[in-house]
Amino acid sequence: MGFKLYDSMSRVMCVSAAAGVLSSSVEQKIYVELNETVPCVRLLNATHQIGCQSSISGDTGVLHVLETESDLDWILSSGPHPPYMVIMETAFFNRSVMMRMKNSSRVAGVAVIVSKTGLADNFSPHTTCPNQNTGVYSASYGSDLANCNVTMWNPLGNGLSYEDFAFPVFALKDENQTQVIRKCYQDHNLRVNGSAPQYPLCAMQLFSHMHAATDTVTCMRRTDLQNRFSINPEVLCDPLSDFNVWTSTRPLNNSAKGHAANESVVIAATRLDGRSFFWEQAPSAEGTVSGIVTLLATIQALSPVTQEAPPPRNIFFSFFQGEAFDYIGSSKMVYDMERNDFVIDLNNVHSMLEIGQVGLRRGRSLWMHSDPVSRQNKSVDTESAAAGLNLTVDQPSVSQPLPPSSFQRFLRVRGIPGLVLADHNTSFNNRYYESLYDDAENLNVTYPPDLSPDEQLVYETDAAKSLAEVATLVARSLYIQAGGEKKNLNNITADPKIWFLHQHVSDCVRLLWFLGSGPPQFYIGLGPRIHGPVHSVTRFVQYILANLTGTVTNLTESQCQNPSEVNTENKDLFSYFWVSGPASVNNTGEPFCRSASVRLSKAVSPAFELLEYGSPNYSIIPQSRWKSIRARIFPMLTLGVGVAVLLLSLLVTYFISSKAELLFSSARETPATTY
Amino acid sequence: MNLERIPNEEKLGLSRRYYLGGFAFLPFLWLVNVLWFFREAFLKPTYTEQPQIKSYVKKSALGLIVWVAVLTTWITIFQHFRAQWGEVGDYLSFTIPLGTA
Repeated sequence: MGFKLYDSMSRVMCVSAAAGVLSSSVEQKIYVELNETVPCVRLLNATHQIGCQSSISGDTGVLHVLETESDLDWILSSGPHPPYMVIMETAFFNRSVMMRMKNSSRVAGVAVIVSKTGLADNFSPHTTCPNQNTGVYSASYGSDLANCNVTMWNPLGNGLSYEDFAFPVFALKDENQTQVIRKCYQDHNLRVNGSAPQYPLCAMQLFSHMHAATDTVTCMRRTDLQNRFSINPEVLCDPLSDFNVWTSTRPLNNSAKGHAANESVVIAATRLDGRSFFWEQAPSAEGTVSGIVTLLATIQALSPVTQEAPPPRNIFFSFFQGEAFDYIGSSKMVYDMERNDFVIDLNNVHSMLEIGQVGLRRGRSLWMHSDPVSRQNKSVDTESAAAGLNLTVDQPSVSQPLPPSSFQRFLRVRGIPGLVLADHNTSFNNRYYESLYDDAENLNVTYPPDLSPDEQLVYETDAAKSLAEVATLVARSLYIQAGGEKKNLNNITADPKIWFLHQHVSDCVRLLWFLGSGPPQFYIGLGPRIHGPVHSVTRFVQYILANLTGTVTNLTESQCQNPSEVNTENKDLFSYFWVSGPASVNNTGEPFCRSASVRLSKAVSPAFELLEYGSPNYSIIPQSRWKSIRARIFPMLTLGVGVAVLLLSLLVTYFISSKAELLFSSARETPATTY
Repeated sequence: MNLERIPNEEKLGLSRRYYLGGFAFLPFLWLVNVLWFFREAFLKPTYTEQPQIKSYVKKSALGLIVWVAVLTTWITIFQHFRAQWGEVGDYLSFTIPLGTA
């Protein structure tokens, strides 16, 4: 009896285990998960929600590839199996098509094929007047210059990133996966001679349900209510936050906040971030990387001269994060300076030079933008700096305002003299501003065809040479501005190889782990990440700066982490990095401790610290949270088939149960023995 | 509980208890009263306690109708206007749906 029980139980367990295995493979037989997709997520501001939203259990639609105008008519009006999931070829991803999709009830979602074939001549999903409400120009300051009345900076902008879509929009970045989708479409969904395709059809389901809604004030209020009154609090949105990176030619005491005595500082700034229509995608080559690389080259060019013949004023280099979203990083730094919560304050600032988009110069000219309202004569001397270089520095017309730049946030508070350097006179030269397509190809980075990857690393492309010239100009101008002597100017030259940091690839070995595969993406994001609390690009810039400006010390690892115990080192003036040594053929190099005056400062909008979620003065753009984002395709049958199967199975069950005695009587033998 | 086997005085007591209990903001008691005692009150042949049971059932039904009307009106208004009420709507809500206004 006991043995029989054990036997039957083990049989039951075997069968259920087999059923378990079988059930997961049944799911795999039906659904094909699409892994290499990127969603569009929802962001909020004071009054609106922007981005995309799906239903809580995903949006399903019959696949249709949008390649021609007749496909568009099929999807929007004549196709018999709405709603459709549109696979959009690159050429159709523009404002007019997306607006028609938005207004139609027959579209369940859009998956955009990201490729260069069919790409239009320009594509910028950003607005035509970036950051127009948080710059310096307003009704009370240069009112005729506000809202791009004089110059439309991004005329090719179609504003798609700032529209609100009620269906999910994903980007398909992997060509192999796109082929799988196309094959499914061609096998099942193609129209044959104008007649509609028959079931089973290929369908796609997109999940990207966002928690946040309406606007920032509502979202933060609901998060607050959840945290206070709910057992299982759900956070609805998070403010965008990361870190600015800063350094200076003379170290500044990091523990002494507020006004720094006897310090007059020239600020050299650029931005560290970008964005696009899709989440965490921002290659931003012309928009951001050109500025970062130029400033890094400037810092490298200046470091020997500032050691040998230091100028009277300090030069403060800053990389601002989050500038795409209403100047998060620069507004935070200015806010800290105003409240005496930073190493320097606004009284220490002598002048400012900002590097805007400098990668697409036409001919030799570089443009020096200044603010017409507060302009002071000859604020930054660039003429002597430009002597002997292959570029000319021109000034735009007198009444033209500043382009969107971090300098505008400084001007909001104090009328300090300053300039913004850019490759454009009136509107941007960048035809793919803040989009997925602003990549190395946009900057015309090309190599001769027969180079190996190592050779490519040291090859001086034209783009690199052009940026090196700009960097030389900036470095010399900064040196003059800081009061340095003009006889030292010829020693300041930027190295075109800075682009790939050939000489410093040793420290880069450790950094490459942060970057992962593919080109680095410059979206600001939310703070804590997989590889640590700081965005990988921010870390990258921080470590490169440490490499360029720091000195090697002979501290041990534990001393490196606690330098206050060592007498010769000063934790207030320097930060200490434990890095691996130069890579050579045989080994990966001994690690060592490097000290540098490079610091991170928090870049989160002051509005979130002040709890003023509707503030018009600061950036109030949080990103929504979500539970799961995924995409899958599967063959779809009509509801009728499912109902038919259900009815059939009920019928069979009824039939079997009514004839049970007949079917199962052979197993029973009634004992007929009577005594 | 089978009402067939209970003496009539107990039936009256039950119906009265349900009727009085419903005043404590418990309209489901009135609903049960109506459904359970309907046959007793209106379809059975007359007995002594039946008129009183009938009156309890009628009054319970009246109270139930009032409650249903009030709740339906309030639920309709709340579902329709909660999004527009902004802050007030959020403070009134026990669970706020994610991702929609």
